[in-house]
Amino acid sequence: MDTKPTTSTASILDFLNRFIAALGITAAVSVEESADGPRLNLTGDEAELLVRHRGEPLKALQHVVDMAFSRSLPDDTRVFVDALEYRKGKDIELRHMAKFLAEKAKQTGLDQQLGPLNPYERRLVHMAVAEVPGVTTESIGDAFSKTVLISLRK
Amino acid sequence: MPGVREVVEVMAKALADQPNDVRVTESQHKHMTVIELFVAPGDLGKLIGRQGRTAAALRTLASSAGEREGKQVTLEIREGR
Repeated sequence: MDTKPTTSTASILDFLNRFIAALGITAAVSVEESADGPRLNLTGDEAELLVRHRGEPLKALQHVVDMAFSRSLPDDTRVFVDALEYRKGKDIELRHMAKFLAEKAKQTGLDQQLGPLNPYERRLVHMAVAEVPGVTTESIGDAFSKTVLISLRK
Repeated sequence: MPGVREVVEVMAKALADQPNDVRVTESQHKHMTVIELFVAPGDLGKLIGRQGRTAAALRTLASSAGEREGKQVTLEIREGR
C-alpha cells in the first residue's frame, strides 16, 4: 500500500477541509492511499452530522467529490469518502454477509440472494464471494440497483 | 464564518468550471431559509447533474448544514447573469 498523497488527493483534502470549516464542525481528515484510490475519513465527534439519516449526507458528499474530482484521478481509481469509518463498518458487514450466504449456498445447494445493491456494493460482494471456493456470483435485475445471486458452481 | 451559504459556496466552486462566477445568497422567508445559487450558464447542467443527482446531493448537504443552526433550508439553482 502506497501512503504518499498525490496532487489530486491534496486538492480533495483541501476541499474537505474547507467544507468542514464552512459547516462549522470540528473534524479532522485522515488520508490513506490504496490501490483502488485515495480513502479519506472524517474523524471527530461532530463528523456525526454526516452519518445521520442513515448516512445520506455522507453519500451526498461522496457524489459531490466524485463529480468534482474523479476527472483528475487515474481511470481505474476512485475516491472513497467516509466519516467515523461508517462506510468501512458497513462494508465489512456486507462482506461478512456475502461470505455467510456463500457458505450457505455451498451447504444447501440453494441459490442465495443479496440486495438490492448499488454498483460499489455489488463489487464488494463479488470480490468477497470469489474468496470462497465452489460458488459463483451473478448480478441480476436492471438499472442502478441490482441483486447479486450467489449459487453453487456447476 | 461558517453557515449554510458557505457550505453551498464551497461545494459549488469545487464543481463549477467557472468558480469565479459562483454567487450564493441567503434570505429568510418566514421559517424557511432560502439559498439561491447562481452559476455561469455553462455550469448549470454540471450543478444539476444527471437526473438531478448533483442538485439532490447539494440539497442534502445544505439541509445538514441547516440542521446545525435549526434552519429549514431550500436550495434554488439559477443561471447567473
